[in-house]
Amino acid sequence: MEATLATPAWRANVATIGALMARSKNELVRVPGAAIPGVLAPTIFFLGLNGVFGALTQLNGFTTGSYESFIVPISMLQGAGFTGAAAGVNLARDIELGWLDRLLASPAPRWVLLAGTVLAASARALIPASFVLAIALALGAGWPGIDGLLVTFFMVAAMAAVAACWGSFLALRFKSQSAAPLMQAGMMALILTTTAYAPLALLQGWLQDIASVNPVTDVVEAARQGFVGSVTWADTWPGLLALAGLLAVLGTLALREMRRTGR
Amino acid sequence: MSALATNLRVVRALGMRSIRQTFRRPQLIAPIIVFPTLLLAIQTGGAGGAVELPGFPPVQSFLQFMLAGAMMQSLMLAGNSGGIALAVDIEMGFTDRLFSAPIPRFAIVLGRLAGTAALGLFGALWFLAIGLIFGAEIESGVAGALLAIVLVTASAMAVGGIGAAIALRTGSASVVQGLFPLVLVVLFLSSAFFPQELMIEPAQTIAEYNPLSLIVEGVREPMISGIDAADTLYAVLAILGIVALGLILSARALRHRLRVG
Amino acid sequence: MPAIAVEGLQRAFDEVLAVQGIDIAVDEGEIYGFLGPNGAGKTTTVRMLTTLLLPTGGRATVAGHDVVSEARAVRGSIGVALQEAALDPLMTGRELIRLQATLQGLPTAEGRRRADALLERVDLVAAADRRVGGYSGGMKRRLDLAAALVHEPRVLFLDEPTTGLDPVSRKTIWEEVRALNDDGTTVFLTTQYLEEADQLADNVGIIDSGRIVAEGTPESLKAEIGNPHIQLQLAAGSVSEAESILAPIGKLLPPKDGKKVLVEVENGAADIPRVVRALDEAGIAVESLELVRPTLDDVFVEKTGYHLEEESEENAEEAPVGA
Repeated sequence: MEATLATPAWRANVATIGALMARSKNELVRVPGAAIPGVLAPTIFFLGLNGVFGALTQLNGFTTGSYESFIVPISMLQGAGFTGAAAGVNLARDIELGWLDRLLASPAPRWVLLAGTVLAASARALIPASFVLAIALALGAGWPGIDGLLVTFFMVAAMAAVAACWGSFLALRFKSQSAAPLMQAGMMALILTTTAYAPLALLQGWLQDIASVNPVTDVVEAARQGFVGSVTWADTWPGLLALAGLLAVLGTLALREMRRTGR
Repeated sequence: MSALATNLRVVRALGMRSIRQTFRRPQLIAPIIVFPTLLLAIQTGGAGGAVELPGFPPVQSFLQFMLAGAMMQSLMLAGNSGGIALAVDIEMGFTDRLFSAPIPRFAIVLGRLAGTAALGLFGALWFLAIGLIFGAEIESGVAGALLAIVLVTASAMAVGGIGAAIALRTGSASVVQGLFPLVLVVLFLSSAFFPQELMIEPAQTIAEYNPLSLIVEGVREPMISGIDAADTLYAVLAILGIVALGLILSARALRHRLRVG
Repeated sequence: MPAIAVEGLQRAFDEVLAVQGIDIAVDEGEIYGFLGPNGAGKTTTVRMLTTLLLPTGGRATVAGHDVVSEARAVRGSIGVALQEAALDPLMTGRELIRLQATLQGLPTAEGRRRADALLERVDLVAAADRRVGGYSGGMKRRLDLAAALVHEPRVLFLDEPTTGLDPVSRKTIWEEVRALNDDGTTVFLTTQYLEEADQLADNVGIIDSGRIVAEGTPESLKAEIGNPHIQLQLAAGSVSEAESILAPIGKLLPPKDGKKVLVEVENGAADIPRVVRALDEAGIAVESLELVRPTLDDVFVEKTGYHLEEESEENAEEAPVGA
């Protein structure tokens, strides 16, 4: 009976991922005001950081006189981290409510279920990123060029996926929304222990050491290119590699937890 | 027993409860201590080069400068958290129990503030310890440290009063919690994290008139140079101003709550 | 081939054995009722059979597929409506069934068609485009049931489908389950309500503390306990006389409270006229008469020593002593 109606597996998987992504938009669209914190938080940080530390560009070592240009990619990435972690919190809530059982009892492959959450986060991260970028440009940040823009948005979407894998891993591991602070703090630490506030040479000793080995530093540099200079492949590929590595590690952890849930 | 003695006993009892509650739930303390510490580390590490900027006040290190800001952040979050705790009490109906007892209304708020003060004190001690461990000296020695502790604890209570007022008015823990980003905004718009003269407009102007800046300066000066009477006085006045605001708002919120039920 | 075959199924949580080696065989087209109190291991068993939980011992096959090694094939063959009605309050009923169709691999157009048909079937058309968060408990259960059917599964698992529902909603669910079964769907349902098991199930398995303590059709289980008995309330002082009159008609059971005569009869209600005539001819006045049938609760008490339901306190008094 099922055989005559089964669609080819790849098509069924794509349809499932699409349906799960469509469901995730309900959070934003059907709950009034729910979108606001996620959209505003990166912008608040951007305005605050700019107002407070803007004078840093006077120091030798900064290649730009505009702190707005320097940190707007950070704020966009922060928004991605926040969005991805929030996806983890939503998954934890779904687990607490028993919703995940519905998905797990279906024949959908586990990786498809995870992909639905992760890709939804990537798509959603574009919203706060666009918002803070618009504000930054209005305040005088340099236009990054189309190539810079594309690279930055790609990094933002991929970073959100990384954060969603991290959040999902914790959600499946602890099956509780109380892991939320760990999801958020983990991403914040990862993104900010980089050349977020200043170029590598100007960072204090210990932070300089961490930033040198933190893969997200490459992501930051790649996302920042268009805003502080021109976009080159040499500056882009390390960021891509870092994201690929982070996705591989965190994605594997999350998938393993999804497969093991309850079993 | 005189009325005053009774009231003091009540405040003490509620205060002990509030303090116990605060420290029994580590997951609540963590964001108030961990988050500002994380931010302190990152900002000191990332923006530490700022000490080279022309016009930056002479300091031993950026950490020495930032400690006061970290304490400020921590005490603001403590005040917010005290407001959340009171709102939870209201939602659970615990305050109704207190309201129907023959104790003065203010004892209830004061008792809650005791918990906030304890958190503020803890934060002050924590960051002083961090400073000492990582080599930041307190220029004016023990006296300066004590002054900082007193100002921070008092500020925590003052901010807690505002948090309590909001809790009483709205009776909703999630509303009070939603104000947390506002806390950060107000801090960014002060001299908590950077010298006010070196900030970018319009943040610079706002910081100049922000009473929180006065408090931060009062806590910071003893650490980076010496105890200055004027700075201390301004800090105290700012704290009193916030206390007054908190009292007025709390009183009105209490009246509103008792009328509306 | 049985629709569900379970051998020595076991599940341990740390030191505790929630399910202690159970055997079940459910034929195709059967309704199997899994009856037991809270904490007996019903939900744990269902979760193992629906591949949500790994057994720690034994094996099970559902629709011919092993639940451990062929989990995905099992998931494509079963419909599941679990105790917590895993519904998303922000979705509409229609969206939920369509999502379930997608999860089951149905083409989009087919999924929509079936969703419409199922909503009609469970009488949720009017509420179909409203958010599930606003549905009543009964509506949520009906939606859950409809979603479980979207891919026309061979085996349907219902975990406590009517717990918490009002009697009217409960009857509606029962009718729907019977209708499904008439179409050929095998149903495995767990319940703590003996009436539900009695009414719906072809076969009943009684589970307590992780073990199956009795299994069979409701009738055979009750027959094991004994025949129905007639309970007569007579005028004071006539007990022994009545007993001697009734002794040839049925088996006497110990009288109750000094005034009630209990006589077990083979033919149930058909024997009532004989009893009444015999007493009437002897001039013994009958104040009240009751035909007491054994219930599944009696079976439960027999096997476990305690009652399944509080309401059956009364029945306990009338329960025949010994069988």
